[in-house]
Amino acid sequence: MAGVTEYVIVGAALFALGLVGFLSRRNLIVMFLSTEIMFQGVLVNVVAVGRLHGGLEGQAFGLFLLVIAAVEAGLALGLIVLLFRRRGTLDADAWSAMRG
Amino acid sequence: MSTATTYALYLVFALGGAGVYFMLPRTGRSRVLSGAVLASLAVFALLAVLAFGVIDPAHGSGYFYLFAVIALLGAGRVITHPKPTYSALYFVLVAVAVAALLVLQGAEFLAVALVIIYAGAILITYAFVIMLAQQSGSPIYDRQSREPFIAVFAGFVLMAAIAGRAGELPLAGETVDAALTAPAALAAQTESPANQQDDSAQEGADESNSLRMGVIIMVNYVVVVQIAGVLLLIAMIGAIALSRKKVPSDGPRAADVPLGEIGRKVKPY
Repeated sequence: MAGVTEYVIVGAALFALGLVGFLSRRNLIVMFLSTEIMFQGVLVNVVAVGRLHGGLEGQAFGLFLLVIAAVEAGLALGLIVLLFRRRGTLDADAWSAMRG
Repeated sequence: MSTATTYALYLVFALGGAGVYFMLPRTGRSRVLSGAVLASLAVFALLAVLAFGVIDPAHGSGYFYLFAVIALLGAGRVITHPKPTYSALYFVLVAVAVAALLVLQGAEFLAVALVIIYAGAILITYAFVIMLAQQSGSPIYDRQSREPFIAVFAGFVLMAAIAGRAGELPLAGETVDAALTAPAALAAQTESPANQQDDSAQEGADESNSLRMGVIIMVNYVVVVQIAGVLLLIAMIGAIALSRKKVPSDGPRAADVPLGEIGRKVKPY
């Protein structure tokens, strides 16, 4: 069985790459793909840290994390379709009037 | 993890940040190639630092390096590719590589669930939405990034913060293995009868990961499973309500005509 630190570092790298994508891209679809990458990073971290405690709680938590990811993806894609119908564009800046 | 390793990690992340910054789509002169070279160098340097400073050679596995490279390069391409379709395809690569990383950690059930849910279900939905909402040509918002420098800075500082502290986790390789192979230590952790049943399942050396996962989910976390099901139902109803489209009808409304006429003289909606 492998160690834990290297998996935590790879998970952190995936999470941060997703964060960079979410902050810098303007296409709504790519922004939500970036959140999915962040989910992958968290999943690697949860399983790796769960191994520290010797049980399977980490993996069970990861499974429920997948449920949340599926819920988030379904609702987010529904929202994207709705927003695209309203403005005819996927540009997130088209909605910057909501900034207030 | 020694101090030198930590600083080497910071250096690698700075290199990777520069690479991603150049790779992000921008108008004007493209610097994608130099960015790609920098980012690939950073990924391989990261693996070298991990190999020499972090990973215990007795526990290391060549597959870890292979799938870590695929996951990180794929993730970099997802966030930098100017076409969303290709981003989605690279994301499939990331999901499969992460599933392999989970298998290496002994989480087979979770890995298979990840492939089925992500590569099977979520990515199909993304493909549908990309087809529904794609604009012709390459629109300006795909060719230009918003505040790339601040985004890269924030992301890679976060990465360095997490990775720099990761070495302080109580995680020498032998502690992990001892905890995983000592059922007595597990049985001492928990006292409820349900947990003892779970531990007795773990004592059998040939019990598969799926069997143990089934036991722990259906014994310890039944309520969470129910809540997850309700949550999925709510999300399904919400997604239908969100993306439902009102179809304009030019004839008489369906509600106004007598039963039996709908579908013959009047369209169903």
